[in-house]
Amino acid sequence: MTSCATCKSAENCVSAHESVNQMYERTKAMGLSTAFDRYLSQQPQCGFGMSGVCCQLCSHGPCRISKNAPLGICGADADTIVARNLLRLAAHGAAAYTHHLEELAKTIKATAAGKTPFGIGDEKKLRDIAGVVGLDPNKPVAELAGQLADVLLAELRKGSEEPLALVKLFAPKTRLEAWEKLGVIPGGVLSEIRDALTKSMSNIDTDPVDLLLTAVRLSIATGYMGLVGTVTAQDILLGTPGLVKSEADLGIIDPEAVNIVAHGHVPLVATAVIEAAKDRELLELAKKAGAKGIKVYGSMCTGQELMQRSGSSAEGFAGQLGNWLVQEYYLATGAIDLVMMDMNCSLPGLKAVADRFHTRLVSVDRVVRMAGVTEHVDYDPEKIAGQAKELVKMAIEAYKGRGKDIFIPKNKSTAVGGFSVETILGALGGSLDPLLDVIKKGAVKGVVAVVGCTNNRSGHDFKSVQLTKELIKRDILVINSGCCSSATQVEGLMTPEAAEQAGEGLKSVCKALGIPPALNFGSCVDIGRIGVAVTAIANALGVDPSDLPVAASAPEYLEQKAVADGIFAVSFGLLTHLGPIPPVTGSALVTKILTQDIEGLTGGKVLVEENPVKAAEAIYAHIMKKRAALGI
Amino acid sequence: MKEIMVHLDRCNGCLTCSLACAAAHSSSGTIVGAMLEGIPGRIFVQAAGSRPVPILCRHCEDAPCVDACMTGAMQKDPGTGLVSNEGREQTCVGCWMCIMACPYGAIIQKPGEKKLALKCDGCPGREIPACVAACPNNALVYEEADAFSEERRRKAASTLV
Repeated sequence: MTSCATCKSAENCVSAHESVNQMYERTKAMGLSTAFDRYLSQQPQCGFGMSGVCCQLCSHGPCRISKNAPLGICGADADTIVARNLLRLAAHGAAAYTHHLEELAKTIKATAAGKTPFGIGDEKKLRDIAGVVGLDPNKPVAELAGQLADVLLAELRKGSEEPLALVKLFAPKTRLEAWEKLGVIPGGVLSEIRDALTKSMSNIDTDPVDLLLTAVRLSIATGYMGLVGTVTAQDILLGTPGLVKSEADLGIIDPEAVNIVAHGHVPLVATAVIEAAKDRELLELAKKAGAKGIKVYGSMCTGQELMQRSGSSAEGFAGQLGNWLVQEYYLATGAIDLVMMDMNCSLPGLKAVADRFHTRLVSVDRVVRMAGVTEHVDYDPEKIAGQAKELVKMAIEAYKGRGKDIFIPKNKSTAVGGFSVETILGALGGSLDPLLDVIKKGAVKGVVAVVGCTNNRSGHDFKSVQLTKELIKRDILVINSGCCSSATQVEGLMTPEAAEQAGEGLKSVCKALGIPPALNFGSCVDIGRIGVAVTAIANALGVDPSDLPVAASAPEYLEQKAVADGIFAVSFGLLTHLGPIPPVTGSALVTKILTQDIEGLTGGKVLVEENPVKAAEAIYAHIMKKRAALGI
Repeated sequence: MKEIMVHLDRCNGCLTCSLACAAAHSSSGTIVGAMLEGIPGRIFVQAAGSRPVPILCRHCEDAPCVDACMTGAMQKDPGTGLVSNEGREQTCVGCWMCIMACPYGAIIQKPGEKKLALKCDGCPGREIPACVAACPNNALVYEEADAFSEERRRKAASTLV
């Protein structure tokens, strides 16, 4: 199953991480079916679906395009069907990001009214952004926060004909020119989602090129609202990340504590629960139950959000367990008492594993529901302080039923987190110049964002870890976010010591600054933070993002949010590498546009390469080409 | 004699053959009906790594399943060349010797209370077997073995010049 080349026995492993391999052996021995087993039982998978040419929109379908039947019953060809399917995937991703932002805007509004336990975590950022969007930045904090939340909500909801303010305010000028030419400056995100879903209904927009342009437009809206907007709102509420030292991997699970896992993407409930876990009465309750304490661990992106703020609003965070594919395996330790499932990425398979033990699964977002899970503590900003205590009590109750069959792998790693434009500027003395200098001099050849999901198509985390290693070897600084962050964290690449694995140039820079060769930029929504960083570098040099020696890679992309992210990266002007082959190969036209023609329009393009070494070589060649063009 | 032949390189693992087989052997005659009735397909698409491989009864000469059958339920029809236990179900005792003997794993247990072996029957009464008729990629073809090899030869020859 794997394409791992990290050690001789890798052929037999399902995961790049020893801890997960051990846990998989345990689930197999227990007769539990988990993602790695289900992956095998789904093979072979239908080639029509994999190449994007299966259309199931109307009751005439499914129509599959083949040599024998080059047109669907309606007359749609492979190009239309592939482009339409792709747009629908991007619309799903855009919608989920919007939900995240809306929860935040509502929370900021309630916080401004003094109705939540949260405060304003970054007043400076609040005033800066408020000023940029045209509010009076000198108003009292609460009033200003309330007004900014209203601006965000209005931006979400406005019509598609009204240009999105955040795009106009934050995008580099050269980008705006390119996007205006294409007619893809988006309006309100909800309206753009409506347009995308309307157009992708059967027999409305059947022009593959227009469908792709709609995906570009939607993804730009997603980029500036769902990514940049969400990250900014999150920083204002919970604080901008600061550099922290934390821990990762399954070995951090404390068998003597009440163990709560914060799993998903939206860190609001989790932040309140970390606070509640410090409550004396609850600690007393935990002790009475026989536990030494209460610990809140992170899983996936919620965990990354907590880790990067564990020096401020999430102080007391117990560390990161792992990414998307790890969820069933940490449950199988038998030592997890409660999982709080917030928006996005809770496997339906979780229930069967939880039931094998004493673990309580609780949905903490109104959109999350799972068959068999009956406990819902749906996040309500005005009730969250009480809800958080209730969740901790539920975990203590669950702890009482914990069995004796517990196995916790020993593996744990140190992980430095909390990188952002602000922390980088702070570390460099307030200016990007030192970073730009080492890039100009060639000690660092370029910067690549290795981001996004994890995917079992060629083994868990093999590609993201191997690609990161191959890039740093070539003196390319790597920025990780999302599930890729967990992947490299667990393998110790997010420590200053990992500089030893980098090329000579990058090694010397990392050592001088005391930074890891792979910087943790946080969760998948923090891809927005990377966009802000690239914009800052482009502005500092006075060039377009597409001229920079940078690239993006989603070596193990999985779901719909990643599709919107990927199209945004291409629209932003970046070479965007994908590991898994996206479901577009059934259309020669769409494949050609995404991998070639779009470069002439946005400066970015998709590079599909399943082999991480070859991908690193291609990305390196791209970076060297950009350096040559810049004359550095 | 025409047989079901496989162009492995054309198969994309869509499983239409298996669904069409189930439909042809269901009382409703439809794919959805067959799924509701719980009728299994008698042709399989097995994954070999990431490659799909259609597996079906080859209706062998001197078939191991026929040799292994203790009761004579499994027989090869000298006229049609088809290997089957259809029409002799009462004789089958469900000892699974045929399943153990078949090198391709092309024989399965018929769902239901009685133990009964189930396999490709060559779709008697149909001009073209259901799986072949349904294959959207022409990966399955119904032709004489020699016609298949002739096409292969032609293709091989064209790559040599």
